[in-house]
Amino acid sequence: MNIEDVFSSRLRMKTLKILMQVGELNVSEIARRLRVNYKITSKHLKVLEDEGMVKHKEFGRIRLYRLNKSSLKTKAVENLIEIWEHANK
Amino acid sequence: MSVFKDETKLDINYVPHRLPHRSNEMRLLMKFFNVLLQTPKKMAQRVIITGDVGTGKTVLSQRLGADITHEANRRGIKFRYVHVNCREYRGSLFLIVHHIVSIFHPNFPRRGYSTEELLRILLQVLDEQKTCVILTLDEFESLVEREGSEAVYKLTRLQEIRLNKPQRISLICILRNLEVVEELDASARSTLQSNIINLKIYSKQQLLDILNDRVLLAFKPLAMLEDTVNLAAQLAFSENGNARFGIELLWRAGKYADVEDLSVVTPECIRKAVSNIYAVMRKSDLASLRLHEKLFLLSIARFFRESEEAYASLTTIEQAYAIVCEEFDIQPHSHTQLWKYLRMFSALGILDTEVSSAGSRGRSTAISLPRIPAYELEKELSFLLQKEEA
Repeated sequence: MNIEDVFSSRLRMKTLKILMQVGELNVSEIARRLRVNYKITSKHLKVLEDEGMVKHKEFGRIRLYRLNKSSLKTKAVENLIEIWEHANK
Repeated sequence: MSVFKDETKLDINYVPHRLPHRSNEMRLLMKFFNVLLQTPKKMAQRVIITGDVGTGKTVLSQRLGADITHEANRRGIKFRYVHVNCREYRGSLFLIVHHIVSIFHPNFPRRGYSTEELLRILLQVLDEQKTCVILTLDEFESLVEREGSEAVYKLTRLQEIRLNKPQRISLICILRNLEVVEELDASARSTLQSNIINLKIYSKQQLLDILNDRVLLAFKPLAMLEDTVNLAAQLAFSENGNARFGIELLWRAGKYADVEDLSVVTPECIRKAVSNIYAVMRKSDLASLRLHEKLFLLSIARFFRESEEAYASLTTIEQAYAIVCEEFDIQPHSHTQLWKYLRMFSALGILDTEVSSAGSRGRSTAISLPRIPAYELEKELSFLLQKEEA
């Protein structure tokens, strides 16, 4: 997927920001924080996971998502968000 | 200027390096758990620690936890010590297990699965982390009271169904006496009752040694008179050998000395402290009680304030409770529920219950309030209830 396709979604960027702040969350909680439903959240998480930017662990029915810290793309986005937020302070 | 050098050394959560008069018990406990260091993951251990309030049950297990974690780290064994007060989790196995899972996954969701699933998840987490834990269930009575044999069975049999898999969870169950365990069904009991350490009540001399140890750590040199520590030890001894009570007295006495700008803590500071302290139950503990628990306790406090009798039957207290409920315009709880409250208060050491077989119509329960002034208890509960109503 092209960078503009990944970044064109406000929800995907917000998901990355949430996971960066919180560390690890289940789908329902991410959905609650995004204020969208479970299905939409899952869809965006799948895009991010396909890009290798997030990964998940399954515990029974629970899926916990976190940033994939070994991905260069994730590191780049983390840096971008950090610089952006810092500059806006 | 303060008389304290480091008052955190008198905090209830402080775990001293040296536990005077508990070295034999410590050695025994270490011996039980040495197997986790010698042959990690091959075997889990279960130990019960019993003893009255302030006999050092909690601090003993926490000292073991710190020492064994240190030794495991030194040997490169992944290990965690988890201390849970069951009462803080309202005796719910689900909440207790969730707390442990949260240590590894802080945002683990609270809903959407059963206790059994959560227990399986816990083992999965520990397998992934290649970690073993000693789980200490403090105030174990609370768990048994709420969940009965089933919870104990689930916890202890948890690993036994995992054939040829690493043994991840060892247990320390802390309780005041073994009565609670004896009430469990046979299968749950058999999984628990293997190693029991009973902590005897401290003598006055032993309390004096413990308090002197803490004085050295917490107070400036020469800030504490010998007589002051003696008095604190004497009072702690009269409170059923409760070391925690003595330590709290020292802390409060130090505070009084500071307020009055004294350079030494005098016996008078202890006297002031004792008039303001609840032996076993502090105001924060009272505040955490639920509404009907408060109402029931209020009725007990009122009864003993108004009566010159030292003992009351549950029937008498039930009548007093009904009046209190009427006053607050609340439907009273059932006899069975009140009986449960009574057992909880007894386990907490707020009151004593004694079952007598005297009388023609079976057994009756004599309730007494030996450690807390009824007037003080009533005053505090009324204040809390008024706040709740507002």
